[in-house]
Amino acid sequence: MAVDVDFDSFPVASKGNRFEDFSEGRTFPHHWGRTITAGDNAIFSTATCNWNPMHLNAEYAKAHGHDDVVVNPMLVLCTVVGLSVEDLSESGGPFLGMSDVVFHRPVHPGDTLTASSSVTEARESASRPNAGVVTWHTKAHNQRGELVVDYRRTNLVVKRGNP
Amino acid sequence: MTAHVHLTGDGNYFEDFEVGRRMRHARSATIDEVENNFISKQVMNTAQAHWNEAITAGSSFGDGRLVFGLVTGSMTVGLTSQDTAENALAELGLDNVRFRKPVHHGDTLTAYTEVLAAGPADCRDDAGVVRFRHWGRNQHGDVVCELERTVLIKRAGHWRRDAASREEVVSP
Repeated sequence: MAVDVDFDSFPVASKGNRFEDFSEGRTFPHHWGRTITAGDNAIFSTATCNWNPMHLNAEYAKAHGHDDVVVNPMLVLCTVVGLSVEDLSESGGPFLGMSDVVFHRPVHPGDTLTASSSVTEARESASRPNAGVVTWHTKAHNQRGELVVDYRRTNLVVKRGNP
Repeated sequence: MTAHVHLTGDGNYFEDFEVGRRMRHARSATIDEVENNFISKQVMNTAQAHWNEAITAGSSFGDGRLVFGLVTGSMTVGLTSQDTAENALAELGLDNVRFRKPVHHGDTLTAYTEVLAAGPADCRDDAGVVRFRHWGRNQHGDVVCELERTVLIKRAGHWRRDAASREEVVSP
């Protein structure tokens, strides 16, 4: 028996921002936060062929002054970008690049990251009239309020009224 | 501090990284479900083009799930890691990260490295700072990403010499 519901009439609970939302200087405190677990680090590091004992051998890391393994900084970076996607880039447009990525201090399993970004530049795209190029400065802190990583990221961002 | 020296290899201490040295890393890796679909969701990347096959049909980036750029970047770094960071003390940063072409499930990455700079570390003489340029290429030979990476790496002259002298002391 067919379900008699007009699903096409349901409005989308839409997500994300468009080019017009990124005025220079606007700051976005990103959602959710993330506690990085030992499992996260082990899965990420092995899946990306990064079998470094500093990330996967706790006794080795302890012999180098850490209390536990050091979370793979690429996982830290991926997570911070992930937390920022809904605010900054979910509505579409290619990830063009990053610069000035600084890992300020190590992250250990159990540490919790939160992130925020501010718009540093927003300009029209010379080649794509339906989009602009936006650069953000993103910072992430741990549960003690210490800066863990910061970087600049640039994306092509579509304008309102475009799919 | 030097007890675990046998766990890591040779040829990748600070002194080994002469400016201009180039490497093609021996192992390549295919990006698939675990590497992109899983990791994109693990790191809470909410852009569904990375994990919704249906929505990508007819995309300007090509059909099929689009690999998150930083998964491509992380795999490129991972493929270089034994040769460039097995004897590292810390990853310091990245710069000039560029994503040149879309990557899709089933694509295979090979990583390449050139040493751009090598110099002393601030505040410590047991390690030095090396700046690498890395490239990731797909199975067609196209560069899909490139980045520069700065790493704090042990000096063999400190870490291996100390290990050797300790072994002499503890040997019967």
